[in-house]
Amino acid sequence: MSDLLLDVCRVGKTFTRGGLLSAQRIAAVKDVSFQLDAARPEILAIIGESGSGKTTLSRMILNIETPTNGKLLFDGVDLATIRAGPRRLAFMHKVQPIFQNPFESFNPLKRLDRYLFMTQRSFAAADRRGTPEMAVDETLRKVGLSLGEVSRRYPHELSGGQLQRVAIARALLANPKLIVADEPVSMIDASLRVAIVNLFKTLRDDLGISIIYVTHDLATAYYISDRIMIMQNGRVVESGDAKTVLRTPQHPYSRQLREAALLPEIAADLSVRMDDFNSSTSSERQI
Amino acid sequence: MAAILRDLLRYHAEFRIGAGLIAVVLLLSVLASFSPYPPQDVYVVPPDVPPSLTYWFGTTSRGQDVFWQLTFALRNTLLFGCTVALISRLLALVVGLLSGYKGGWIDRALMSVNDTFIVIPLLPILVLFYFVMRDRMSWLLLAMIMACLGWAYDARLIRSVAISLKAREFTQSGLFSGMSTREILVQEHLPYVMPIVFSTTMNNMVWSIGLEVTLAVLGFTDINTPTIGGMIYWANQHTAMVAGVWWWIAFPTIAIIMTFVGLFLLAVSMNDYIDPRSRLHDFGGAS
Amino acid sequence: MKTMQADRPDAAQPILAVRDLRAYFRTDRFGVRRDVRAVDGISFTVRRGEIYGLAGESSSGKTTLLKTIAGAVRPPLEVVGGEVDFAFLPGYGGLHRAPAAEVARIRWRHLSYIMQGSMNALNPVRRLRSAFVDFAYPHIGVSRKQFEREVIVHLARLRLDPSVLAAYPHELSGGMRQRATIALATICRPDVILADEPTTALDVVVQKEVLGMISGIRREIGASVLLVTHDLAVHAHLTDRLGIMYAGRLIEEAATAEIFRNPLHPYTRHLISSLPRIGDDVPREGLAGSPPNLADPPPGCRFHPRCPLAMDVCRREVPAMLEIAPAHRVACFAVNRSAEA
Repeated sequence: MSDLLLDVCRVGKTFTRGGLLSAQRIAAVKDVSFQLDAARPEILAIIGESGSGKTTLSRMILNIETPTNGKLLFDGVDLATIRAGPRRLAFMHKVQPIFQNPFESFNPLKRLDRYLFMTQRSFAAADRRGTPEMAVDETLRKVGLSLGEVSRRYPHELSGGQLQRVAIARALLANPKLIVADEPVSMIDASLRVAIVNLFKTLRDDLGISIIYVTHDLATAYYISDRIMIMQNGRVVESGDAKTVLRTPQHPYSRQLREAALLPEIAADLSVRMDDFNSSTSSERQI
Repeated sequence: MAAILRDLLRYHAEFRIGAGLIAVVLLLSVLASFSPYPPQDVYVVPPDVPPSLTYWFGTTSRGQDVFWQLTFALRNTLLFGCTVALISRLLALVVGLLSGYKGGWIDRALMSVNDTFIVIPLLPILVLFYFVMRDRMSWLLLAMIMACLGWAYDARLIRSVAISLKAREFTQSGLFSGMSTREILVQEHLPYVMPIVFSTTMNNMVWSIGLEVTLAVLGFTDINTPTIGGMIYWANQHTAMVAGVWWWIAFPTIAIIMTFVGLFLLAVSMNDYIDPRSRLHDFGGAS
Repeated sequence: MKTMQADRPDAAQPILAVRDLRAYFRTDRFGVRRDVRAVDGISFTVRRGEIYGLAGESSSGKTTLLKTIAGAVRPPLEVVGGEVDFAFLPGYGGLHRAPAAEVARIRWRHLSYIMQGSMNALNPVRRLRSAFVDFAYPHIGVSRKQFEREVIVHLARLRLDPSVLAAYPHELSGGMRQRATIALATICRPDVILADEPTTALDVVVQKEVLGMISGIRREIGASVLLVTHDLAVHAHLTDRLGIMYAGRLIEEAATAEIFRNPLHPYTRHLISSLPRIGDDVPREGLAGSPPNLADPPPGCRFHPRCPLAMDVCRREVPAMLEIAPAHRVACFAVNRSAEA
């Protein structure tokens, strides 16, 4: 055991594209390091635009992708040594993913509860009493659903928000220490988004689960995360306390992101509306 | 399944016609069990009798009843096609799904085998086998050989679907639910490639039956087992067309065309129904 | 501060009037008949020279509404009732009912589109120049040489280099491609531009730039824009008036600033108050329930199962859009009642 839950140590990932003669090497992630403390669960937001390498980084943490340089240690175990079999199962017991598109997270042709019982079967602790149904129902209640609402249902019968709750419940059934969520609310409707985001806070506070929240949305990152990392072209350009970094960004790119983020509070004050970003300041328009 | 068949029968004209044709063919092949004469025996009825009430499809120059001979021939030909299709589908599924999902060196190894089979020239190989095996060439052995030669192209097709399935989020959900590779392939991916399997089954049967008829007409098969090709072979041996015994050739030809058209129509209409995209379209509604 | 709209005489004839429009997805597969009421009785007008925004969640029917207005009505989508009146296309009650020749006359010249995936509008195997020639050249009565000069001038307005004309769509970045689509949509100086999530696929920095350009070029050519997006922040920055849709119906409409300052419908109130803001640490409340299934919507007000103010009448009757305050329409019994009191 170690007192670091996750130790990302100077990792890089280079993809090779094209044939033997015209191979192009694309560095998706370059020299990224950060740590998560085992004793203090937190929400770490990784912020970046498309192509910033944030998704590749999250896939390396999930051990779906292997780094080309550096290494990742989870609970002191090098992820490169975990490939298959019981060790991989033990790793997935502690680290679980939540994906972007709730409609894609489950096979559209299969019933939803299947995944829940599968996870329960694979990771259930031996000391857990009661039937699998009770365990699944109990976990679903943590995310505001119940087995009655989910059992025998197909994904298309539920809304995006409900599906994302099921996805979270599925992850929770493994009893993980870390959840890696890649854009978990970007495809959720506005009226359901806050509830999901609040749920992440509850997981951290009540269940002591650390969450890596990958997003491009600065506002929700500000709202839930404790720490943030801003990535550009595969590198971390700024990191630190979420509130401080987002209120007073230092790196030019972070400032650019912060300024470009369209925030609804500006709208209340018409003087800074979009019209005035353009040359003309007159409020008259030609018709 | 019964409901699907009923819906298809009610609303799909292609399916109705296809099912009707195949039903006639199947009925004929089942009648083989009630034949008054063993299939190999010759001169059991007067030779060269044109179609009449006694001999519905006439008799051959070898003193066989064309009707009963045809039932045996259809049964053997269909059995041959099914055997080839079944074995080659299994091969294509295992290789295609595994290769697409696993990737890496497994994919490269399987695909190099696959591509080797794609480029092997069929007819010369089959003829070569016949000349090597001669009398030991039973229809079962021929079916095995054809199955080994008939899976490669479809395996590539299945692999391409499997690769796209691998990239979808529900595959990862399955993986992180603790499913084994076999479970993911069979339960998650198989339903998506079933449309390919179904439509290629029909195509594969058409292909293998066609090839068997070709070989039989040329005399490169076990001519003592009555098949459609075998009947035409014997008819040609006795110059049936020149002798005016047209029924000896006409009825097997009509039967084989009915089989081909029926299988083709079934493939088309089943594909229409099973395709997950059109099924999801039914579920999805607006958006 | 007053809104810009308030200065404008309301009597100005609308360029686009939608009256009680109903468009359903009708499926009849294997004997099972189903109506998905994606657009169910929507009325609003778009004035000359304004940007009218439509906001709503997925399956609120906003995209279907835009499609219906654009005349892209193909089975299973069916217009069941109501009219779409363009000032430049009188007498047909909608593009979907107009003859093909009329539609061809109007497209690009009077009505153009900016769609979500700009790849869809641009043919991937043809250079951009041919897109301009195909769509715009027939509508502009000038020589080819003059036309090319005008296109280049127009591209410069969107800060695009003339060299993009020789490029294939995939050779451009997402932002440039979307700017090229905007150039294409505005070259003929149309009266109305329909924009469906024009910046949703773009990164934030590029999104801001593209929004600025839509706003600027629109002002320059004096077109009206009907902008559909789920992103309230985009509406806040771009639109003059805003309609909020829920489950196939329009539930609130007012000047954008008014909606953000004084949302009245409980749903709108939740949407506005639940938006996280940088620098604001107040916890946000979630809204219970999910949007209804449009194949089987709840009776009465479609928001009532989730509404904190739901009364008996909400479960029985459909609230009408009533003007509560000047130029502020709301469809809610609770709000109407308190306004009367």
